Amino acid sequence: MSTRVQLARPAGAYGTGPRAGRTRRSWAARRERRGMGFVIPFFAGFAIFTIVPLAYAVYTSFYSTKLIGGTSFSGLDNYRETLGSGPFWNGVIRVVIFGSIQITVMLIIAFFFASIFDLGLVRFGGFFRTVFFMPFAVPIVVAALMWGFLLEPQYGPVSRFATALGLGDVNFFSPRLMLPSIIVIVIWEFTGYNMVILYTALRSVPRDVVEAAILDGAPLHTIVLRVKLPMVRPAIVMLIFLNVIGASQLFVEPLILNNYQAGVITSDYTPTYYIYNTAIHSGQFNLAAAMAVTLGFVVVALSGVALLFRRGRDVTA
Amino acid sequence: MSDDRIPLRLYGLRRGTVPLCTALCGVFALFILTPFLWIAINATKTQANIFQSFGFWFARPFVAVHNFAMLFADVDGNGVYMRWFGNTVLYAVLGGGGATVLSALAGYGFARYRFRGYKALFYLMMAVLLVPISALTLPLFLFYTKVGLINSVWGMILPSMISPVGTYLMRTYIEISVPRELLDAARIDGAGELRIFVRVAVPLMLPGLMTVLLISVVAVWNNFFLPLIIFSRNELYPLSVGMGVWSQHATTSGDNDLYPLIVMGGLVTIVPLIALFLVLQRYWRGGLLLGSIAN
Repeated sequence: MSTRVQLARPAGAYGTGPRAGRTRRSWAARRERRGMGFVIPFFAGFAIFTIVPLAYAVYTSFYSTKLIGGTSFSGLDNYRETLGSGPFWNGVIRVVIFGSIQITVMLIIAFFFASIFDLGLVRFGGFFRTVFFMPFAVPIVVAALMWGFLLEPQYGPVSRFATALGLGDVNFFSPRLMLPSIIVIVIWEFTGYNMVILYTALRSVPRDVVEAAILDGAPLHTIVLRVKLPMVRPAIVMLIFLNVIGASQLFVEPLILNNYQAGVITSDYTPTYYIYNTAIHSGQFNLAAAMAVTLGFVVVALSGVALLFRRGRDVTA
Repeated sequence: MSDDRIPLRLYGLRRGTVPLCTALCGVFALFILTPFLWIAINATKTQANIFQSFGFWFARPFVAVHNFAMLFADVDGNGVYMRWFGNTVLYAVLGGGGATVLSALAGYGFARYRFRGYKALFYLMMAVLLVPISALTLPLFLFYTKVGLINSVWGMILPSMISPVGTYLMRTYIEISVPRELLDAARIDGAGELRIFVRVAVPLMLPGLMTVLLISVVAVWNNFFLPLIIFSRNELYPLSVGMGVWSQHATTSGDNDLYPLIVMGGLVTIVPLIALFLVLQRYWRGGLLLGSIAN
């Protein structure tokens, strides 16, 4: 090898000998390792504010604090109490009912509108998409406050409107109608966000696939339900996943609506509300930690449902 | 993106389909707009009129200016709205801005480097999304009491900077929009890794960064559980907790004239975010939220 050629090959990076190959690999490996530097700031914060608290929640759930005797190890006692706790499971059942209705209805509405926007069946589509997305910019506290005023049984305009229609005195915050009211509020809050994501997914379905279906003489509803819907299934699975996580932690809406109608939102209305009351109002942090960890397992189990949906009728992909 | 639609006539639609669909959108838009309309009108009313006058029209006396002015006052020691507004902006700017920077760095690390354990770290980050807020916040509260972060703004800002969703979105966006070849070319030119990130990658990531900033700011603006638990002094509250506490006081103490403030305060809370969304429309509309589902 001449000196000239060697000069053109920096640090053996393009060498062919056995040693040169190792140098190249370690040079690359060193560069890849630098990537660690980019994730370290995030993971330092992640460790302090997520992993450590979570580990502490698990740790503290195995202890009990007594007025006399202080804190002592109590094994699975808190979990036994959680599993046998009527109020906790009442809340879980309530959010499961809530979630299965709210998520289903919301996704149907969101998919319907995303489809007709995608097909171009709507005049002023851009305007409507912006309007539908607006509630995403409203803090949930404010959304619950506005709907609280609107649905309030005595003075609320919606209740008065119902009376004017001849439906009698409708109390949207009665024990029977409270959960449907919360469902309406949450649908109001999140349909637009889900719609935007579905719309984007539908827009990315390749044009030639749809054209082929048209040439085959497929009617519009077949194109939407049999061609496009299966192609955006990953988006739907992701949305079910996110919505299940959200629904299982229902908290702010009941907390705020409790101010409009006393007595309907019981302390165990939702699991998160019950955990909050157990920790903050009753001061039973250890028990609350066990409940929070248990709720985590419930969420994992429920999001498994989203994955089942992906596997369910998946013949093609 | 908007001009490549298949012409409608090819679908062989019945006449009237477009007007029908537009009308259905109109009905749903009415449902969406009703609360906005209500709050805009009723922010101009006295307490008596909020309850007694017709909800969807103005009533005398017109007290919008008075209601707005009251947002600067401490009403019966329940706290000053404008103080909360300032707090929220502070938390949103530092927390949301910090989240965007950390997410961009980490997303870039995940998208463009293959260091040891990157997969394990990534899946760990995603798995934590399943952990209930209560399981993170309650221990954080106990931890804060020990290290003196209760009633400290940093107790609110620092955790807000950690956004697994933002990091995930950034990773997906970088994989699509920052070509490896470009980074390698810069390396051959002898640029350092950090310099390549700042000079080459960040300019290509800007739309993704704006989307993550938008999402992070909204997340902080919305955050309720954490500030509810870690703040006991009302001068530290963000808007969400302040408004929640007001609504509780209004009912439990029968406090006079708190309702007009709640309505006006609610209006002033949502206007800046709606404005932000309208200005940054192309970012959330352009499909970047899709990042969350691309893989």
